[in-house]
Amino acid sequence: MKKFLMISIILVAITAITTIIYVSLFGRETLRVLKVSTTTSLYVTGLLEKLSEEFRKEYPDVVIQFIAVGTGRALEIASRGDVDMVFVHAPSLEHKYIKRGILVDGRIIAYNYFVIVGPKDDPAGIKGLNSPVKALKRIYNAGVSGMTLFISRGDNSGTHIRELTLWRKAGLNPIGQKWYIESGTGMSKTLMIANERKAYTLSDIGTYLKLKGEGILGRLEVLVDKGEGLINIYSAYIVNPDKYKVDYELAKLFLEFVSSKKGQKIIDEYGVRLFGRPLFYPAYGKENELKELWRVLSEG
Amino acid sequence: MYTEIYGIALRSLLISSTATLLALAWSIPFTVKLVSIRHESKEAIVGVFNALIGLPTVLVGLVLYSIFSCSGPLGFLELLYTPYIIIIGESILITPLLISLLYEIFNRAYNEYWELALTLGADKFQACKLIIREIISDVFVVSLIGFSRAIGELGVALIVGGNIKGYTRVFTTAIALEVEKGEFGTAIALGLLLFIVILSVILTARVIKRRV
Repeated sequence: MKKFLMISIILVAITAITTIIYVSLFGRETLRVLKVSTTTSLYVTGLLEKLSEEFRKEYPDVVIQFIAVGTGRALEIASRGDVDMVFVHAPSLEHKYIKRGILVDGRIIAYNYFVIVGPKDDPAGIKGLNSPVKALKRIYNAGVSGMTLFISRGDNSGTHIRELTLWRKAGLNPIGQKWYIESGTGMSKTLMIANERKAYTLSDIGTYLKLKGEGILGRLEVLVDKGEGLINIYSAYIVNPDKYKVDYELAKLFLEFVSSKKGQKIIDEYGVRLFGRPLFYPAYGKENELKELWRVLSEG
Repeated sequence: MYTEIYGIALRSLLISSTATLLALAWSIPFTVKLVSIRHESKEAIVGVFNALIGLPTVLVGLVLYSIFSCSGPLGFLELLYTPYIIIIGESILITPLLISLLYEIFNRAYNEYWELALTLGADKFQACKLIIREIISDVFVVSLIGFSRAIGELGVALIVGGNIKGYTRVFTTAIALEVEKGEFGTAIALGLLLFIVILSVILTARVIKRRV
């Protein structure tokens, strides 16, 4: 029995070791790696890959690794020091992490708008309203009387946090009600659920347009896209190098690139070719205005 | 596009096969030891491993994340978001499955052949050889089942691998991303490809097994 053991261990170990060596050939240890956790919308729309591609034309020995998760998790990962940089869009949450000294060198890089989307026949009658708060009040009333459903992300993402802020501003608390469904998934799946169930939901315009372009949101349309509280501000931060092992120099390079004229132009043009309209607007030239809006949002 | 899919396929195969080998490396000796125990607690241990087969993959991923995160106890190894951590995660994930299946095989072979071989005058070494010859093809099949489970899981690869393009993106995480992007066609194509890859690996392995 002992010999049998020995042979099996040796055989398996040899094969395992050779394969590990083989796998390591795929590794990129020789290059400089920048790890970035990001909100899904910036990644899924392809914008970050595009920025990274252009960045690498200038710095070919750099690899940028994106870990696309919701804003809540992106920040949590940063607070454990597992990434060098974050791209997020939840000012009130970002504010807490800045105060805890986890994030430094914050910069607003882009913005777009949240939209309330819903079924084309619009049972709550919100189409064309210029206030999301008013729209939510109508959805609430329609929901209570059993005429419609609302799908919430329910995943502590930037969009979810904004949705909760808007409900709070409307002075309503829909959580726990029958017509208020928490999907607990990403934006795309939440939009698909809303499409299937003919329900309302809050979405970032980028993800909505991307999916609409794929032709899978046939029953939904944008109903409210104007009004206070719908601006969606994307910021980039470097994880505090005094607290964690971070490649600050490289993160700074990428941050500068993204906010440079060239990077901002990429953001501006991205999506026009694919969707006929930009998915994100560059922050360039509007920094002060956006900072003020960010400050208001960060106070919740 | 094609080089990327080729990369994903190759990466998935390498990661999951390494994970299977690694898991076998500790599962086989452990199960051999387990079979030789003559104590009531043996059944309980086997029962625990049976139950662990159903462990959610995201849970395994989360536990590993907490351990290998920079602020975790093994953070200094800097394994998070690399293919190696996926290998470790998948090997842990399939260990209960391997042990449960191997236990049945070893136990039966041990009861049937060990005493018999010894009473027929074989020495221990010869008895071992006999048992190995009897069970080797079953162990092979068990490894393939383990491999299928490893290559088809999503939770571990997504949480500790991070789905990094060209580095830790494997079949399942790529499919999840394509769904998130709303590109269902690509997602289904990748799914079919995954199935073809698993099928061809298993069919090839079965042919080899028959030859042996």
